[in-house]
Amino acid sequence: MASTQQLKSRIRSVKSTKQITKAMQMVAASKMRRSQDATKSSEQYVFSASELFAYLAGQGATNDHPLFQTRPVKARLLVVIASDKGLAGAFNSNIMRKYLEILREDDRQHVHNKTIAIGRKASQFVSRLKDTEVLGTYEDLPDEVEGAQFHAILNTIVSHFVDKETDEVDIIFTRFKSSINQIAVRRRLLPAGFSAETEVSEDVQEATFEPGANEVLDAVAYRLVGAQLYQALLDSRASEHSMRMMAMKNATDNASDLVDDLTLEMNKARQGAITQELAEISGGSEAMK
Amino acid sequence: MQLQLITLGGVKVDEEIYSVVVPTVEGEISIYPSHMPLITVAVPGMLIVRKNRQDTDDDLEYFATSGGVVEVSGKRVKILVDEADHGEDIVEAESQAALERAIKMRDEAKDQIELEKAHQLVDRHMVRIKVADLHRRRRRC
Repeated sequence: MASTQQLKSRIRSVKSTKQITKAMQMVAASKMRRSQDATKSSEQYVFSASELFAYLAGQGATNDHPLFQTRPVKARLLVVIASDKGLAGAFNSNIMRKYLEILREDDRQHVHNKTIAIGRKASQFVSRLKDTEVLGTYEDLPDEVEGAQFHAILNTIVSHFVDKETDEVDIIFTRFKSSINQIAVRRRLLPAGFSAETEVSEDVQEATFEPGANEVLDAVAYRLVGAQLYQALLDSRASEHSMRMMAMKNATDNASDLVDDLTLEMNKARQGAITQELAEISGGSEAMK
Repeated sequence: MQLQLITLGGVKVDEEIYSVVVPTVEGEISIYPSHMPLITVAVPGMLIVRKNRQDTDDDLEYFATSGGVVEVSGKRVKILVDEADHGEDIVEAESQAALERAIKMRDEAKDQIELEKAHQLVDRHMVRIKVADLHRRRRRC
């Protein structure tokens, strides 16, 4: 059995670890709340844009637009969104697993693969891979996602697709379903399509276009693609924070358990020492008689 | 007529109004109730909202907006833009400083892309200042 001294110092160190994980949990919780709000507020925009877009598609306006061209897939661009920091449970490893799956599938079908990595963990990961061409890595995106870097990423993606250097663009990100449920998903970004579930509301049915359907489509398409990327980034961020919160909560709970166990063990050791000492004293006094 | 001003940052306006003036690629258009259904492209500029029919010019509300899409039906106007700021929320001094930075950036731009971006920024901040100025002047009298 370890000595009381050793146990004491272990308890102390576990306790201070617990304090740190507890603090990280709190920080993650408040950040999660903020990014959750941000995700919610952009939802309406994306929804309205896709509604408009579904209508345009219904009119056949999308057929010749460069952002909507479907081509046989020879090259694929993957946008991988991970975090800058670790200690967020399975957040990054889920994304990487999903990413590797797609890489392998592309390899089998001889699709040339390119990657844009967002987040330090993603860029570290892709830099070790051989079977993908890295177009760019972006690290330390500010909390306010909308900015110069965001437009740089978006422009790279769009121009790459329009120049026919890639035939499909997918984003791999973590979808924030609820604060306890997040899953790594893959979503088609380009060629822009719309999900069948978007229904056209009646008010836009008979609208005229000014100056013309194509100009409107241009404005909508670019924004819709941007909004989708934007939402993926926000979703990812909210997921990261909530997964970190859960991971830190587990760590804090584990530390508490460990402290309990160690305290019990220490008390046993102390009792044992006292009993032994007593036995020695009484044994000694017996011998003196 | 219902006005919905929707940005990436959230829904800025969702209320009953009388008329709205929107800057579009074809020029400024005023939209009144029962306007014909229309979908058009908005350009960066100033959005002017009149809430009630009998409101005077002093009661108008101003927004500085970036480009986007406008969707009009008889009973609803939906404006999708990247950003929109209410005159009240714009701090003039800040915008003035930002404008000076943008002008400096434009003068020092090295390539076409930078120049383009600087131009956009200059336009944007000019609009913001104008909106803030209008807002201030109206509220004073």
